[in-house]
Amino acid sequence: MVLWVAALQPLLIGAVLLYSSAVKLAPRRSHPPARGTALARLVGERRAAWALRLVGVVELGLGAALVLPPALPAEPVAATALALGFLGYLGYARVVVPDSSCGCMSTRRTPVSWRSFARGGLMLGGAALAVTATTSWVDAVGTRPVAGTALLLAEAAAVIAFSPELDAWWLLPLRRLRIRLSHPLAGTGRLAGLPLDSSVDQMQHSAAYRSVAHLLRSDVVEHWDEGDWRILVYSARYGARATTAVFAVPRLRYEPQAVRVALVDDQTGAAVDPPDPGTLDRNTYRHSTFHEGALADLTLRTGPLGEAVRGDAPLSGATAGMPGPGPVNVG
Amino acid sequence: MTHPIDRRRLLTAAVLGGAGVVGATAFGSLAPEAAFAADDLTAQAGLADPNFAEGIITGITGGVLAVTGSDNVLYRIRVTDATSIWKLRPTTLDRVAVGDGLYARGARLGDGTLAADAVWVNIVNLHAHIRGIGRTALNLDHRGQPILAHVVPGVTAASYNGTPAVADLSLLRVGRHVQVLGAWHPGSNEIDIATVYAAAN
Repeated sequence: MVLWVAALQPLLIGAVLLYSSAVKLAPRRSHPPARGTALARLVGERRAAWALRLVGVVELGLGAALVLPPALPAEPVAATALALGFLGYLGYARVVVPDSSCGCMSTRRTPVSWRSFARGGLMLGGAALAVTATTSWVDAVGTRPVAGTALLLAEAAAVIAFSPELDAWWLLPLRRLRIRLSHPLAGTGRLAGLPLDSSVDQMQHSAAYRSVAHLLRSDVVEHWDEGDWRILVYSARYGARATTAVFAVPRLRYEPQAVRVALVDDQTGAAVDPPDPGTLDRNTYRHSTFHEGALADLTLRTGPLGEAVRGDAPLSGATAGMPGPGPVNVG
Repeated sequence: MTHPIDRRRLLTAAVLGGAGVVGATAFGSLAPEAAFAADDLTAQAGLADPNFAEGIITGITGGVLAVTGSDNVLYRIRVTDATSIWKLRPTTLDRVAVGDGLYARGARLGDGTLAADAVWVNIVNLHAHIRGIGRTALNLDHRGQPILAHVVPGVTAASYNGTPAVADLSLLRVGRHVQVLGAWHPGSNEIDIATVYAAAN
């Protein structure tokens, strides 16, 4: 029985090696597959691409030898040595370059995890077992075809399950299906009230905001709801006076033209009188958009602290995708 | 400072009372020279902006935060009643702790202290892919690194296709790209989501 299982292993290991070599040797126009792998650290950035191809050639040769007859005793020995070397490489990557990609079975960036080690262990176990085999896999499948196919399929499923690179084949579709059947976050809309962001967005599209945007110094200091209105409070500076800018934003309807604003003097508590209403024409509006651009950093709520988490969130990404104050269209 | 409730009543009356309706140009000329005359631009090309600070909070004494920047510059940041503090939501100084990261913007005083106008604590801005959706969190993949992004009831909002944010998160899909603004849990790979920007169709 053990000998029969051992005789089947060369087919599985050979197939995995062939797939892995195909990934490494397939011509690619972009993304050199060696970039970001621990291999680049081991042999140098310039030689990494060639080293990866060399590994691919070795895998191709050994995989083909394992799958194709005749079954030589040296083949599983070589496969065991390769599996050992591969586990050693994984350990090196994990210790020396923890953030690096494995570069094993996909060009997709996949960090080394416990699943990579489990797959390496599975390959090592299979190869070591195959050393004891006395017949070829063709004969072994021939004696018990159903059991042999089932065992190989189960082992292949284990390899796929332990391959983070292959999640897109089976795990993501499964999760998509589950979420289509029952979305875990359905009902979040009914429980929660109106998000603050929604009111801020509406306010930023209002004429009232454009009129005072250049005076604002802070982000939202506080906010509360007052009947049909949401009140947003900002710190502002009007000339030399420290003031508070108070916005009233319609709460349950989107009507930016209804947004109101008042400036209140922090010392006296009195509303600041607007000095000169001026006239509203096409040109003044265009100027006001210009002010928003220049002072957007004061009102931006999106400074990235990506560095703290990963050290790579781009600062310029702060406004990307954020529905901020866009260009103004005036009739 | 007046009592908070009285202050709210005062501010509400100011904006919703008759005098609160203000036209677009009520607060002065919108000509560019008027705007730039108001503030001196102190930032200079090639030098760090003196009115900006970032780093990890190493101490809080009264209203002054001691901060170590990521380039080891030491900052002292003064927080006043007029300073806005964001930590997942607009909040107050007593919610800020040593070990938090921050971005601050304000005006540099003569003694080198930054008088903060706005402070954003632990704010992160991530582009990621959704790997999984649970009842209380999203599993995100940020350049190969897993990030657990918690959904905070009453705070977490979603903006679909650039429209104003809503509380309904049920249009998020596994495998899709999202941009997430949130508050980092210091020392971990977990965040609380403030707003998630996604495409919906």
